[in-house]
Amino acid sequence: MNSETRPHSSDVLRPRNVGAAIKRTEDPRLLTGRGEYSADRKPDRPLHVAFLRSGQPHARIARIDTVAAQVSPGVVAVFTAENLAGDFKPVIPFSRMPNYYATPIVPLATGKVRYVGEAVAAVIATSRYLAEDALELIDVDYEPLGALSRAETAIAGDAALLHEEAGTNVLIAREFKKGDVAADLKAAAVRVSGRFEMTRKAPLAMEPRSYTAEYDKRRDAVTLYTSSNIPGIVRDAICESLDLPGHRLRVVAPDVGGSFGSKGSLYPEELLICIAARKLGRSLKWTADRLEDVSSSSQAFAEIVDAEMGFDANGIATSLQADVIGDVGAYSIYPWTCGLEPVQVVSFLPGPYKIASYRGAVRGVATCKPPTGPYRGVGRPISTFVAERLMDLGAKALGLDPLEIRRRNLIPAEEFPYRIASGIIWDKTGFVECLEAAAEAVGYEQLRAQQADARKHGRLFGIGIASYAELTGIGSRIAVAPGMPINTGSETAKITIDSTGAITAAFGVASHGQGLETTLAQIVADDLGARFEDVRVIQGDSDEVPMSTGTYASRSAVLGGGAAKHASRILQDKIKRVASHLLEANQDDIEVLDGKAVVIGTDRAVTFKQVAKAVYSDMKTLPVEAREELTGTYTYDPINGTTAAATHIAVVEVDPLTCFVQILKYVVAEDCGRIINPMIVDGQVHGGVAQGIGAALFEELVYDDDGQLLSASLVDYVIPSAPEVPAMDVVHIESESAVAGGFRGMGEGGTIGAPAAIANAIADALSPLGIDVSILPMTPERIFKLMEQTRLNARGKADE
Amino acid sequence: MKPAKFDYVAPTTVDAAVEALRAANGEGKVLAGGQSLLPLLNFRMTRPAVLVDLNGIRELSFIELRGDRVAIGALTRHREIEQSPLIASKLPVMAAAMRHVAHLAIRNRGTIGGSLSHADPAAELPMLSLLYSASLSVQGPSGRRTIAAEDFFVDALTNCLEPEDIVVEIEFPILQQNGWAFEEVARRFGDFALASIAVSVRRGASTIKDARVAVMGVADTPLRLKEVEGQLRGIAIDDQMPDRFSELVTSSVSANGDLHASAEYRQHLLGQLARRAMQTALAAESDRR
Ligand SMILES: Cc1cc2nc3c(=O)[nH]c(=O)nc-3n(C[C@H](O)[C@H](O)[C@H](O)COP(=O)(O)OP(=O)(O)OC[C@H]3O[C@@H](n4cnc5c(N)ncnc54)[C@H](O)[C@@H]3O)c2cc1C
Repeated sequence: MNSETRPHSSDVLRPRNVGAAIKRTEDPRLLTGRGEYSADRKPDRPLHVAFLRSGQPHARIARIDTVAAQVSPGVVAVFTAENLAGDFKPVIPFSRMPNYYATPIVPLATGKVRYVGEAVAAVIATSRYLAEDALELIDVDYEPLGALSRAETAIAGDAALLHEEAGTNVLIAREFKKGDVAADLKAAAVRVSGRFEMTRKAPLAMEPRSYTAEYDKRRDAVTLYTSSNIPGIVRDAICESLDLPGHRLRVVAPDVGGSFGSKGSLYPEELLICIAARKLGRSLKWTADRLEDVSSSSQAFAEIVDAEMGFDANGIATSLQADVIGDVGAYSIYPWTCGLEPVQVVSFLPGPYKIASYRGAVRGVATCKPPTGPYRGVGRPISTFVAERLMDLGAKALGLDPLEIRRRNLIPAEEFPYRIASGIIWDKTGFVECLEAAAEAVGYEQLRAQQADARKHGRLFGIGIASYAELTGIGSRIAVAPGMPINTGSETAKITIDSTGAITAAFGVASHGQGLETTLAQIVADDLGARFEDVRVIQGDSDEVPMSTGTYASRSAVLGGGAAKHASRILQDKIKRVASHLLEANQDDIEVLDGKAVVIGTDRAVTFKQVAKAVYSDMKTLPVEAREELTGTYTYDPINGTTAAATHIAVVEVDPLTCFVQILKYVVAEDCGRIINPMIVDGQVHGGVAQGIGAALFEELVYDDDGQLLSASLVDYVIPSAPEVPAMDVVHIESESAVAGGFRGMGEGGTIGAPAAIANAIADALSPLGIDVSILPMTPERIFKLMEQTRLNARGKADE
Repeated sequence: MKPAKFDYVAPTTVDAAVEALRAANGEGKVLAGGQSLLPLLNFRMTRPAVLVDLNGIRELSFIELRGDRVAIGALTRHREIEQSPLIASKLPVMAAAMRHVAHLAIRNRGTIGGSLSHADPAAELPMLSLLYSASLSVQGPSGRRTIAAEDFFVDALTNCLEPEDIVVEIEFPILQQNGWAFEEVARRFGDFALASIAVSVRRGASTIKDARVAVMGVADTPLRLKEVEGQLRGIAIDDQMPDRFSELVTSSVSANGDLHASAEYRQHLLGQLARRAMQTALAAESDRR
């Protein structure tokens, strides 16, 4: 049969799983309380860990007296840095970046405490209650060294040093340059600038951090069940620290109740629990309470950006410069380093815009607070906030509509791939398409008319636009974190059909709420030719694949998905080879579909079960050399990665009496390439925007000048709840991407666009009063203060 | 975040509960809905030796009409008050305020006795007990006595009870009113108020005959503004009246500031809410928002 006459594969016709709004496989179990989180593990007679945490921001530990705690009822052991000294090597968050100091990571504070909430001692007891009773009996003598509570003051020459070995509190300094910014700014027709700030934020996953270390006496081995989104990295780091081979430390991320980045770094408590389990030969459990989670998990933002943008008379942005101070907290984190968040701010600041010259400088400054770390969007929520505020300020100065100024400055289709100043390359993405689609969906022209009418009645009605681009599914050519030595550019899928015909697809990527169990199964089902419901996905288990780094940086659909596609094809080829023996047909005439190999155009078929039987059990059917194990393994590396982009438009009204902001309308037009599951994509956008609303209007970790956290409980740390999150419209632009499957990462975008869009909308609403928005969150208190200031100024003018 | 060790008793009569508290020698604590007490126990901010659980005392849960008063048992849940037709018709300001008390799940457990005893400066029921001049019936080792709401709240989270005392019931006199309002601003629906005001007026053809005003969220305890009430008596009702009322309220209160709202912002909110509240109170019943 030649290709013309051969019946076409039904590939194109059959309903495919990829692209379908399939309900999430994990939801029935998670929603009915049948999920299994780390804290649900029930090892044999586990002991419970409780941590004594520093109440001091910065102090020398002169003495720790644990005698009374050790004899407290139920206590098995009390650990301090002193009695763990020989049990591990510090973990170093290494980077090749110049001007960077890597603070060593150790299980318990050693010599000094550097923030309120840092673990100083650990009590191991037969119950958490008894462990917490014993904590009260530990006596620590601190010699206070003075809190470093603000980055701006920690930079000062006479400031105390948090890490003496570093010789400075500036743990990282970096600068990117392109063109001659000074000259371009000088030549600019219009220059706009501001000092912008996003305050410190908690990622606040619903499940606090939680670890269960199960000790296996037979092999002196440990299985760590961790609420982590990087179980593979945790495995590698702890193996190195404890000098263990990987087959004696298995690290599993079971069901994980959200991370948003807060579970995406190695934690001292993970080291401690593994060390203690081995020392005591017992299984151990620890779950952070909310206070511990808020005060010791990695935090977000905390940056101040002085930025300026120059435009020519046509409204084309010609130049951009920024100086960023990041308050990175007390330690650099593993593996991302303290550079991750602040350096990304300057890497991404030019965003989706064509700007000829750029200078972005950043300093990451150590302070007495928990480390900042990855947080959904990393650096880009604030880089987008700054760039989008500047765009609006520019539009205002030039008398242009905010939509129009973006039209003039977004990188147009014909200029991709486009390299921005920091070296990031945008592949072809629908930047302009997203802008236009969002404007159309929100009814932009009509909204402006509505606004004019509202203003006539004294209403504070505003419309805010934010466009951004992000790099997702990053391959091995680029380090996810600057100068980081570990490879984050590949992921492995291993797909197996066992002797019963069952399909298991194992990955190192780890879902902490994204729905990968569903989306990866959709991909495998299509590319293998299986039924969706027959594919079991295993993920987040270091025993399943030789190496993995996990789920972060919007990579798992791209890297895990790409690996799934390739591994599925390898396995499908094996199935075809076996089937061609069994069906006595040419391999090319066989298609694999719905768990069967079929001779195209006939009813001759064998099921996966029959194929498996022939390969594994039945010694007669196949020649020995045709009995290939039914497994396909592939490690996928997209090399560069791929861009994702979106435009958000928010419509708000500010109540002049209460100073509250109400979001009246919210539209997102996003380009995540080929959509695997539209329901999941919408859910990710909704959740991301909800978090962005938190950053824009509510959430703020307040540390006082003594380094004490004032908003440590959910009474004081205010997050948006259902009534504060509006209904949203999500428009999808599925532009082609060169990576396997055409997928682009999209788990973070909602959080990147929303703060900027809402900030611009509030600024637009308040513009009749001459008020600018330069700090987030815009709480009613802040809006009140700004409005008061305007009232005072007006009164002052009237008096003159 | 686990409580320190305590003993637990679950009496079924008030007498037994008081006896259990007496036996605890000042180290006992009453458990009602637990919505405020449990966090305090978990943070070890309170460490009673004995927890006396009132939830088994049936006689403490009721809402009944007693002549010109409504009596509410201390263990009556917020949700029952919110849904009670008797409260809606006789204590309408309370009925309007109840949906601002926390969230449904908390209202299902939280009790009026617990809310009053906890004495949060931004809690609705303490303010309403002032507005209505409620009287609390309290039982201690030497029997029952009555405490006026205005004597009950001493400071933030502090009431005037002795450690052996239990609030048994609260009586709310029904107000002679033909206008009222309840206004509140909270960060999110169900949060403790940043500022709130309750107003009740008896108006004649063109003047205020009598008025009650209470505020919360702005001081260490809820406040009844008797001075303002005096200034309102006999005042003419006209278009400027809500503005004037707003000024009277803000000049008689000096708001506290905290993490959630500065003193200036609370003061501003209170003024705005006062104006709105008076507008609503003076509006004809049919015009009510
Ligand atoms: C998230 C959240 C939001 C909330 N928001 C609001 C809000 O907006 N407005 C509001 O008003 N409240 C709010 N609350 C508090 C809630 O209304 C509580 O239920 C109430 O304050 C306490 O009632 P309880 O029955 O739960 O008391 P418990 O927690 O059981 O007890 C509180 C205190 O009162 C004492 N006590 C209880 N009953 C008696 C009694 N009969 N005699 C003597 N002492 C007694 C206890 O010993 C304890 O000291 C909120 C609570 C939470 C958790």
